Amino acid sequence: MRPLLVRLVEDYWGILLLLFAWQAWVVVNSFNPIVMPTPTAVLGDLVSHPGVYLGNVGITLSIAVFGLVAGMLVGTGLAVAAWFSPIASGLLNPLTVLFSSVPVVALIPVIARLLGYDTSTVLAIVVIITFFPSFVFASSGLRQPPPGAEDLFRVLGASRLDLLRRLALPAAMPNLAIAFKLAAAHAILAAMVAEFLMGTTGLGYLFAKTKSDFQTEQAFGASLVATVISASAFLAAGWVEKKVRERYS
Amino acid sequence: MNVAIAIDKVSKRFPLPGDKEGVLALAELSLTIAPGEFVAILGPSGCGKSTLLRLVASLEQPTGGTVTVNGAAPGLVSAQHALGVAFQDHALLPWLSVHDNIALPFRLAGRRIDEPAIARLLELVGLASFEKARPKQLSGGMRQRASIARALVLEPEVLLLDEPFGALDAVTRRQMNVELQRIWSARQITTMLITHSVDEALFLADRVVVMSGRPGRILREVQVPFARPRDPWVMRSEAFHRLVDDLTAALEA
Amino acid sequence: MKQTLLGALGIALFLALWEVVGRTQILGISWPPLSDVLAELTDERRRPLFLRALGATLESTALGYLWGTGAGLILATVAHLLPALRRGSDRLAAVLNSVPSIALGPIFLVLLTRESTPAAVSSIHVFFIVFVSVSSGLQRATPAHRDLFAVLGADRIKRFGRLELPAALPSLVSGLRLAWPAALIGAIIGEWFGAPRGIGILIINAMQNFQIVLLWCAVLLAVGASLFFYGLLTLLERAAYARFG
Repeated sequence: MRPLLVRLVEDYWGILLLLFAWQAWVVVNSFNPIVMPTPTAVLGDLVSHPGVYLGNVGITLSIAVFGLVAGMLVGTGLAVAAWFSPIASGLLNPLTVLFSSVPVVALIPVIARLLGYDTSTVLAIVVIITFFPSFVFASSGLRQPPPGAEDLFRVLGASRLDLLRRLALPAAMPNLAIAFKLAAAHAILAAMVAEFLMGTTGLGYLFAKTKSDFQTEQAFGASLVATVISASAFLAAGWVEKKVRERYS
Repeated sequence: MNVAIAIDKVSKRFPLPGDKEGVLALAELSLTIAPGEFVAILGPSGCGKSTLLRLVASLEQPTGGTVTVNGAAPGLVSAQHALGVAFQDHALLPWLSVHDNIALPFRLAGRRIDEPAIARLLELVGLASFEKARPKQLSGGMRQRASIARALVLEPEVLLLDEPFGALDAVTRRQMNVELQRIWSARQITTMLITHSVDEALFLADRVVVMSGRPGRILREVQVPFARPRDPWVMRSEAFHRLVDDLTAALEA
Repeated sequence: MKQTLLGALGIALFLALWEVVGRTQILGISWPPLSDVLAELTDERRRPLFLRALGATLESTALGYLWGTGAGLILATVAHLLPALRRGSDRLAAVLNSVPSIALGPIFLVLLTRESTPAAVSSIHVFFIVFVSVSSGLQRATPAHRDLFAVLGADRIKRFGRLELPAALPSLVSGLRLAWPAALIGAIIGEWFGAPRGIGILIINAMQNFQIVLLWCAVLLAVGASLFFYGLLTLLERAAYARFG
C-alpha cells in the first residue's frame, strides 16, 4: 500500500497542477471575478448555493440516463435487425458509417426546429449521440462468436432465434459494454450542450443564464459539477465494462 | 438397415475468387459406416478430411454425389437434434458454466434438461467437481472433455469428432484417447473421427480410412484387429507398431 | 459487389425520403426538400458566404487538430517512458475530456483571443482521443518482442523507437481518424463564443433568423467537411494497418 500523500500526488498530479495553475493565473492577472473566478471562489459558490445546482443536476442527469438507455436500446435493436437480414445490413451499414462521422452538434438547431425548443430536443440529441456507438459496436459484436460456436449451433439444429439469444447477443456483450463506456461520459455533456443552446432547464441552461447575467462563478460551478459527473460516469462505466468483459469472455 | 452413414460418389469444389475452376477438395469419394461402428479418417492436413465431416454434419453441401445419415439428408438429422459434434476449437461458450455448456444441447432442442444425464456425463468425463467452473478456469484437456460430454448429452445417433484433441500436448492427448476409448465403449455410438495422428486412429477406431490430398480420395482402408475394451498396453504391442508403420508409409506415399 | 449496391441503394433511399418529407411537409416547414437545400448551397450569390465560413472553420479545425495531436502524443510518450507519471496523466486526460465544451469556450476567450478560441476547444477534443489511442498503442508490443529486444541488448530509447512506436502506429492512425469529427465539433462550439465567422456562426445566425434552408446548408457544409477528411483518414488508416498491423 502506497502512503496516502504519495498516492494523491501520483494519481492526481495532473489535476492538482491544473487547478493550481488556474488559481495562480487568476491571482497574478488579478482578473475581475466576472471575467474569470478562481477555483476556490467557484467551490465557495457551490457550497453556498447547493439547492440551485442539485435541482439542475437532477434534470440533466435524468435526461442523460434516459437518453443513454433509449439510444443503446435503439442502436442494439437496429443491429439485431441488421444481423437477421443481410439486406437490412447492406442498406444500413454505409448510412451509419456516414452518420457516425457527422458532427452531431450541428444537428441540434435542426432537431430543435423539428421537435421544439424544450426537453424533447435535448433528449433526442442524447439518443442520437449514444445510438451510433451502440449500433456500430453491437453490429460487430454480434458477428464475433467464439470460434466454432456457430458450427456447433447449426449441427445441434438451433433455431435462428436461439442463435441470437444464446450465442450472438451474449457474444456481443463485451462490445456493448465498450459502447456504454464511450456513450456514458458523452451523454451528460451532449445534454448540456443542447440545454445551453435551447434548453429551459438543466445544467447547460444554468450555465447559459448565469453567464449572461455575469454570475460567472455559478456558470463555472455548473461546469465543474458537470465535469465531476461526466468523469465519474466514465470511471464507473469503465468498471462496468471490465466486469462485463470478465463475465462474457 | 446396417448402414448408418452413406457417402456416395461425393465431390466438393470450393470456388476461388477470380478462378472458375476453384479447388477440388473431394473427388467422387465413397464410404459407408455401419451402425455402432467407429471409423477414423486419417490424412495429411488439407486433404479434405474435415470437409468430409462437414458434409456429414450438413455444414457444407456436396457439389456432386449424395450423403445420407440413417437414410435421410444430414440437414434433417441435425434438425432432429440427433448429431453430436466436437471440434478442435472446444467451442464452449465463455459466459456459461461447464454444467450450462453441457446442458446447452437440451435448450437448443427445446427439451427438458435431463439433470441425471448431465451428472452421469460429468462423472464419466471426470468433471463432476468442476460443474460450476467457467471454461477459462479449466485446462485445455478439461475443456475438451467438457466439449465431448456436450457432444454426448443428447444421446446422439451419430457422433462427429473433428480433431478434438488436435490442440493438446502429446501427454494430455494420450490420456484423452484412453478416456474417449473408455467413454465410447460404454455407449458405442456410430462415430466418425477426423485425425492426423496414426496412433490415435488405431487405438480408437474399428476401421481406419487413409485419405490422400488434392483432390481428396481414399487411399486405403484397414480393419483394426484389437479387441475391446482396449487397454493402453495395446499401443506397445508389436501388431500395433506394425500397423502404425504400415499406415505411416501409406500416408507418406 | 452486392453489398456495395445495397449500400448505394440505402443512401439513395435516405435522400429520396428526405426529398419526399420536404415536398409533402409532413414534418412542417422546418424540413425543406433536399433539392431546395442543394439549390441554395450551389447559389452563386451565397458562394462567398459559404466559402468564408467553411474556410474559417477548417482553419480552426486543422490548427486544433495539430495542437491536440501534438499534445496527446507528447503526454502519452512521456507517461509511457516515465511510468511514475502514468496514473496522474490518465486521470488528467479523463477529467479534461469530461469538461463541458461550452465551459472551455469562456476560459479560452480569456486566455487567448476570439479568433483562436475555436481551435483551442477543438484541440482539447483531439488531445483526449490521441492520448488514449497512443497510450494503448504503446502497450501493444508483445512480451515476446520485449524479451527479444532485451536479449539483443537494446536500451530503453532503442526499444521505444524501433519496437513500441511502430507497434503504436496503427492505433495512432485510428485515433487520428476518430479525432477529425471531434475536432470539427470542437471548432463549431468554440465559434459560438464570439468568433467573427465560421460554420458555427452561420448555424447560430440561421437558427435565430429562422432561415431554415440556410440552416440546412450550414449543416450540410459541416457534414461534408467531416466526411471528406474522415474518408481520407480512413484510407490512411488502411495503409497503416497493411504496413504495421
